[in-house]
Amino acid sequence: MNQGSNKKEKTWPEHAPAMVIKDLTKTFGSFTAVDSINLDVNRGEIFGFLGPNGAGKTTTIKMIAGLLKPDSGQISINNRSLASEPQKCKQDTGYIPDRPYLFEKLTGFEFLQFIASLYNLAPDTFNKYTAHYLNLFDLLDWQHHLIESYSHGMRQKLIISSVFMLESPLIVVDEPMVGLDPKSARIVKELFKNHAARGTSIFLSTHSLEIAEELCDRIGIILNGSLRAMGNLKDLELEARLQHSDLEEIFLELTGAYELQEIIAALRTG
Amino acid sequence: MNSSKRMTLLEPFFYSAKNRFFPKGRLPLRTMGVLAFSLTVCLVLYKIGVRVVTYFHSQNELGIILSLKIFQMAWITMFAMLIFSCMVSAVSTLFLSQDNEIIFAAPVAKSDIFFMRYVTTSIYTSWMMIVFSIPIFAAYGTVFQAGILYWPLMLGTIIATAAIATTFGMGFTVVLVNLFPAKRTKDVILYLSICFGIFIYLIFRLMRPEDLVNPDKYGYFVDYLSSLATPAAPYIPAAWASNLLSYYLLDREIDILVAALLIITPITLFILGEWAMERWFLPGFTKSQESFGGYRRFFSRGKYRQSALRWIFRKEAKLFLRDSAEWSQLFMIGALVVVYLYNFKVLPVERSLFEEEYVTNLISFLNIGLTGFVIASLAARFVYPSIGAEGGSFYIIMSSPLSTGRYMLHKYLFYVVPFTGLALILLVVSNHLLNIEGPMWWISIITGLLITWTVLAMALGFGAIYADFKAENRAAALGGIGAILFLFSAIAFEMAIIFLGGAPVFRVMKSWLRSGTMPPNDLLTLIGWIIASIIISLFLALFFIRTGIKKLEASST
Repeated sequence: MNQGSNKKEKTWPEHAPAMVIKDLTKTFGSFTAVDSINLDVNRGEIFGFLGPNGAGKTTTIKMIAGLLKPDSGQISINNRSLASEPQKCKQDTGYIPDRPYLFEKLTGFEFLQFIASLYNLAPDTFNKYTAHYLNLFDLLDWQHHLIESYSHGMRQKLIISSVFMLESPLIVVDEPMVGLDPKSARIVKELFKNHAARGTSIFLSTHSLEIAEELCDRIGIILNGSLRAMGNLKDLELEARLQHSDLEEIFLELTGAYELQEIIAALRTG
Repeated sequence: MNSSKRMTLLEPFFYSAKNRFFPKGRLPLRTMGVLAFSLTVCLVLYKIGVRVVTYFHSQNELGIILSLKIFQMAWITMFAMLIFSCMVSAVSTLFLSQDNEIIFAAPVAKSDIFFMRYVTTSIYTSWMMIVFSIPIFAAYGTVFQAGILYWPLMLGTIIATAAIATTFGMGFTVVLVNLFPAKRTKDVILYLSICFGIFIYLIFRLMRPEDLVNPDKYGYFVDYLSSLATPAAPYIPAAWASNLLSYYLLDREIDILVAALLIITPITLFILGEWAMERWFLPGFTKSQESFGGYRRFFSRGKYRQSALRWIFRKEAKLFLRDSAEWSQLFMIGALVVVYLYNFKVLPVERSLFEEEYVTNLISFLNIGLTGFVIASLAARFVYPSIGAEGGSFYIIMSSPLSTGRYMLHKYLFYVVPFTGLALILLVVSNHLLNIEGPMWWISIITGLLITWTVLAMALGFGAIYADFKAENRAAALGGIGAILFLFSAIAFEMAIIFLGGAPVFRVMKSWLRSGTMPPNDLLTLIGWIIASIIISLFLALFFIRTGIKKLEASST
């Protein structure tokens, strides 16, 4: 099977969700990191996944990327079960982790070639997109240098380039803007919007409420491993029983962090 | 100097050690196992040491001189190895440690940091050398009947000598990093230590120690020893240690001057090290943050082609060839091959009591196991850690559409080529040197390759089961329980194959050497053994690879 040109291989129904998660659960010993999560991500949708530190965001993302085995529940990507058809699901998923671990002794260009080979990307697609993204992220002059000499931001940009190059129908991102300069952050946001407009679904975990508010069509808030609320900004306002509020207030209300007000008051007076 | 700050700086080291060996304040089975294993090794070393020294001691005056010469050589070798390993570690601990940013940003004096790094690096680099040298030097005390005072004197001397080596190594590293960036310095020291290792190895082997037990050659050795009878190397601290203990072993006297030198030198070197740290540390640390390959451009030849196999191969090869800690090991392997084959060249088969042909064929058969042992050791160094060496980047493989099984297969194929070549060189050349022809040639090649391929699969399987994605480098993975288990299993497998094949091969070879024929019954048994070996090999290879795949798929990255 030629999996090279991913976009041409859309065999799933257009209106079916790109990703469906059902009763997803993961425990580590006696600690339940993710507790029966249910959600779906539609085609062309940017879905924001928010939550305080340790809420279970990265665990969920790792399960979606096929890096962690769930204890129970199902993940379907383009109508295929990740458990029974992992290779096909991974072919359709581009994963951008929060920490840019890369092969230090490869050059940036070699890394892109390696990733393209793993995903069986067609040479034409590779040639077309590589130069484009390297140029976009100011990495052209660095493409033949070893990755070990890259800064944190450059590594992050290289990973982002590698995933966009694949033209996957689903992109899963953990903290996309960490280490990026303002110009690159702007470019990444525009790329997300652009790809979503072309039908790519994006599942995005972030701490930045501004990014979530600006980019996401829908937001899910996870707290202590469970999905506390889900919907667009209006739905979340209703859920939080707040009106005309920004996402920060809604988030604080829904995650029970309103004791923060007392702490802030104490800090200001103290 | 701020002693409370120094203790605070050492806390992470001690807490980590405590949590590692005594988790939750208990003495776990694993720690007890490590302790029991170390004690057994020490005991075995002590017994061997006593036997060897007793043998020399029983050979009149000549034997005593020779045993003390070996005593001196052991001290000098230990001292040199400690300096090199301390310098390699010191570059990492002083300049490349991940906690550097926290510690150097804190209001701590550089001399306090030097103290902390000195203590931790010394413990890391010298504990093993100290623990395993004690039984060897203790054996001398037992054989020379040195009395009760020898033991504290020996222990103090070992610690003082180790302290001299580590203070010298640390201080010299601080100065050296000013001349090269830290990563380059690490490479320079690594090359030097490898050259030193190869030098010692070749010198020792080419001296033909087997001639020591050959009475025909004694005349030559008397001349040699008489030239060595005078105390050597008066400026090397290891020679002080050796001389101090030798005098005590022979005359029960302590040379106060040498003892004083052994006490004063490490203190002086430590103070000099602190001074060097104040003077040169910051410029060195600044340089250490420069990238090794930052200014170099690497051009990728060839166009991009769709092939995961091709790119797994290229990635492995590039990571190996661009990492000096890895490719420099090739020199060591080269020396190993030369000495290995040299052993066959100088083998005194003509002095054997049996017919030369029988002996060479027997050696060729046992050589299958020996080659297997070399392959297993090298597989433990290169193949076993190859999955853990993907480090944090392993998520790239696991989140890609490449199945874990296919990834393992690609890795296996990558390593099978050079290892097959190496096994063939060892087997074919040693067979040639032994003048082996006929069935034994084929038996050794077929069985040797079967063992090689199985051992590689086992190494990869164990490497996946015990993958340590946080290990600093490939060499670090060697100390883990997985590597030890792999080595034991690989050697047990090789011994089983050789043991099972002993009788059928003997019968076939006996009639072949006598009459140039192979009776059908014996031939059938031989074929039966080969088929059984193939089945055992396939079973083990598939079992460990599959278990490894399952473990990788189940574990988090």
